[in-house]
Amino acid sequence: MKHIRHFLLSVVLLLLAAPALAHHVLGRPAYSLNEDSNTPPSMQVETQIGNYFVTYMVFPAFPRPGEPGRINLYATHMDSGEPFTGKVRFTVRDDAWFGGAEPELLGVQPPDDNVFRQGFVFSEEGDYVIRAEFEDEGEPYLIDFPLRIGQPSPVGPITIAGVALLLVLVAANLFQRKRLQRDRIRAAHRDERASAASGEGAP
Amino acid sequence: MIMTHPGLPASWGMAVIAGMVVLTLWAVVSPLPGSAGATVYNLTRAPLLRGLVRYLVSSPRILLVLKLVFVALFLLVIYAGLFGNQIPERNIATVLTWNIWWAGLIFSVFFLGTAWCAVCPWDAMAQWLVRRRLWKRAEPNNSLNLRVPRMLRNTWPALLMFIALTWLELGLGITTDPYATAVVALLMVVLATTSLAIYERNAFCRFFCPVGRTVGFYSQLAPVELRPIDTQTCADCTSLACYHGNEETEPCPTWLVMGRLKQNSYCTSCGNCVRSCPHDNVAWRLRSPSVEAVQDARPRHDEAWFMIGLLALTGFHGLSMMPFWETWMSNVARVLNDSGQLLLSFTVGMFGSMAAVVAVYALFVLFTRWLVGRETPFRRQFATLAFVSLPLAFAYHMAHNLNHLVREGVGVGKVFENPLGTGMAPLSMMEKHARHFEMLISQDALFAIQAGLMVFGFWIAVQIVRHRGRKLLLAEGVRVGGGWRLTPMLGFVVLMTAFHLWLLSQPMIMRM
Repeated sequence: MKHIRHFLLSVVLLLLAAPALAHHVLGRPAYSLNEDSNTPPSMQVETQIGNYFVTYMVFPAFPRPGEPGRINLYATHMDSGEPFTGKVRFTVRDDAWFGGAEPELLGVQPPDDNVFRQGFVFSEEGDYVIRAEFEDEGEPYLIDFPLRIGQPSPVGPITIAGVALLLVLVAANLFQRKRLQRDRIRAAHRDERASAASGEGAP
Repeated sequence: MIMTHPGLPASWGMAVIAGMVVLTLWAVVSPLPGSAGATVYNLTRAPLLRGLVRYLVSSPRILLVLKLVFVALFLLVIYAGLFGNQIPERNIATVLTWNIWWAGLIFSVFFLGTAWCAVCPWDAMAQWLVRRRLWKRAEPNNSLNLRVPRMLRNTWPALLMFIALTWLELGLGITTDPYATAVVALLMVVLATTSLAIYERNAFCRFFCPVGRTVGFYSQLAPVELRPIDTQTCADCTSLACYHGNEETEPCPTWLVMGRLKQNSYCTSCGNCVRSCPHDNVAWRLRSPSVEAVQDARPRHDEAWFMIGLLALTGFHGLSMMPFWETWMSNVARVLNDSGQLLLSFTVGMFGSMAAVVAVYALFVLFTRWLVGRETPFRRQFATLAFVSLPLAFAYHMAHNLNHLVREGVGVGKVFENPLGTGMAPLSMMEKHARHFEMLISQDALFAIQAGLMVFGFWIAVQIVRHRGRKLLLAEGVRVGGGWRLTPMLGFVVLMTAFHLWLLSQPMIMRM
C-alpha cells in the first residue's frame, strides 16, 4: 500500500512537472526561435497612420541572407481600439540609392489572431523597404518600413569619411604650397624692384 | 512594454517649493546687492596641490596621454558601432556615448569647467591630421588659415548644430542605434578636421562645436577658472604670448587674451597660455560658481540666444522622455497626417516647445521692461537678463542626466568586457527589471541630489536677476531700492523651475 501511494504521488508530481520540462514558450514550440519566437525582437517600429496605430516587428531582429524571417504587423483603430480585420498586402523594394527595381509582392495576409504574419527569405543582403498596404472605409493606407538584411556595410561611412578627410587635407596642402610659392615669387619681385630702384643691381 | 523610472516624490517636490518660496520672498524684500569683488583661491598656492597642479598644467605629456586614451575609446566607439552587434544596450558605441559620456559630460563641467574640451577626441584627431604633430607647435601649420566669415563669427552656428544634434538624438533616435552613433562620430571628426584645415586656429571649437559651446556656457557656473595670477603683469605684457603662442606652444585656439579674460565660455582649458606665458602668470583658481554668470560675463545678443536655446532644449529633452509625449505626438500626427517615424510631428513638437520657452522669456523681459524703464533698448535687456537661463538649464540638465547615469549606467562594466556585444541577445524584461532596481546610488540619495540641484539652480538664477537687474535699474536712473521692479524676472525663474520640477516628478521613459 505504501508503495502504491508513493507510486501515485510520483505520477502526480511527474504530471505536474511535465509542462515545465517541455521546450515550449506559451504553447508554441521553441525549436525555431529565429522566425517564430515569442521573445521580443529588437527591430520593432510603432507608428500611426490615419486612424490606425500600427506595430511592425521583424523576426529575427537582424535577419541574414538565406535565413527565413517573418514580419508581424498589428493594426488597431485609434479611437475604438478595434483591430483591423481586412487583408494586408506586403510588397518589398530595394532601398539602394540606385535601386530602381519594381516592388515585388511578398504576399497578401488575412489576420491571424489579430496579427498579419508575412514570412520572407532574402538571398542578398542590403537595405530594403517593406510596404504594407490595406484599405479601410475607402481610404488606402500605405506604410513603409525599412528592413536591413545582413550586417550594415561598414565600408560606406569609413570610406566616405576617409576620402573626405584625404580630399580636404590634400586640397589644403596644395593651396598652401601654391600660396607660399606665390609669396616667395612676390617677395623676389619686390626685392628685385627695390634693388633696381636703388641702382644696386644695375650693371 | 515601456519601462519608466519613477519621478521625484511629492515630499521632495514640496521641499524644493518651500526653498523657492523662502528665496523668492527674501529676493523681493531685501535690498539689491552692490557689485562685490569675487573671492578666488589660486591653486598654485595650495600647499599640497601646488606641485601637482603646476606639473599637470605645464607638461603637455599628461594632456597627450589623456588625449590618446580618449581617442582610443572614440575609435573603439566607431569600430563597435560599425562592426558590432546592433543591439544598443549590448554595444559600447551607444552605451559609452549616450549613457556615460553624454549624460556624464555635464557633471564634468560642474567640477572641472571646460576640461573636456582639452581632451576632446574630435579636436585631437583633427590636430594630429592637419598639424601632423602630437603636441608641439607646427610651423607652417598646414592650414589655409582663412578668417572665419563675419556672419559665422558668433554662436549661431553652434546653436543650429546643437538643435540638429538634439533632433538626431531624440527625433531620429540615434541614441539607440550603434551604427548611426558611429556615423555621427565620424562626421564630427570630418567637420573638425575640415574647419581646422580651412580656417585659422580652432574655429570649430569656438564657433561651430555644439558640445564645446554647451560646455563653455555651462562652465560659467563652474567653480574653477584659468586666469592671470597678477592682472598688472598682463597689463604690462608686450609679448601677448598667451594669444600668439611661442616657438614650442600653439597660440590660444579660441583667440583669447588672458589679461582681458572675464568668462570661461570660450576657454578650452588646453593650457597653451600656461605653457607659453613668459611670466608664469597663468593659473587655475577656485571661485564661487555664480560669480561669472552673476556679474563678470558680458551680455551679447547671440550668446543670449544660445543660453535661452540651452534652456529650451534641456526642458525639451525631459519633455520628450515623458510617457505622455507619445500621446501628444500621436495627436499632432493625426492633424498633420504624418506617418512612419512621425519625424514631422516630432519636429513640430520640438520647435513648438522651443518657441514657447523663447516667447515666455521675451514676454517676461517685456514685463520687466515695463517696470524697470524703456531707456535701455529691448535687445540689450533681452541679452542682459538671459543669464538667468543658464543656472536653470544647468541644474535641470544635471538632475535629469543623473537619472540616466544612476539608473542606466549599471551595465557598463559588462559592455567593456564585450565591447562589440558579440553573440549577445537583447536585454530580457527580467534583466531590464533587475537593472531597474540596481542603481549606482540609492534612490533616496538620487532624489536628495536632484532636489538640491533644483534649489541650487534657483538660488543662482535669483542672484543673477538681482545683480543684472541692478545694473539695468542703474542704467535707467532708477534708485537701487526699487528691487520690486524685477519681480517679473523672478516670476520667470519661478515658472521655469516649477516646470522643471514638474518634469522631474513625472515618470521618465528608460532609454535602453
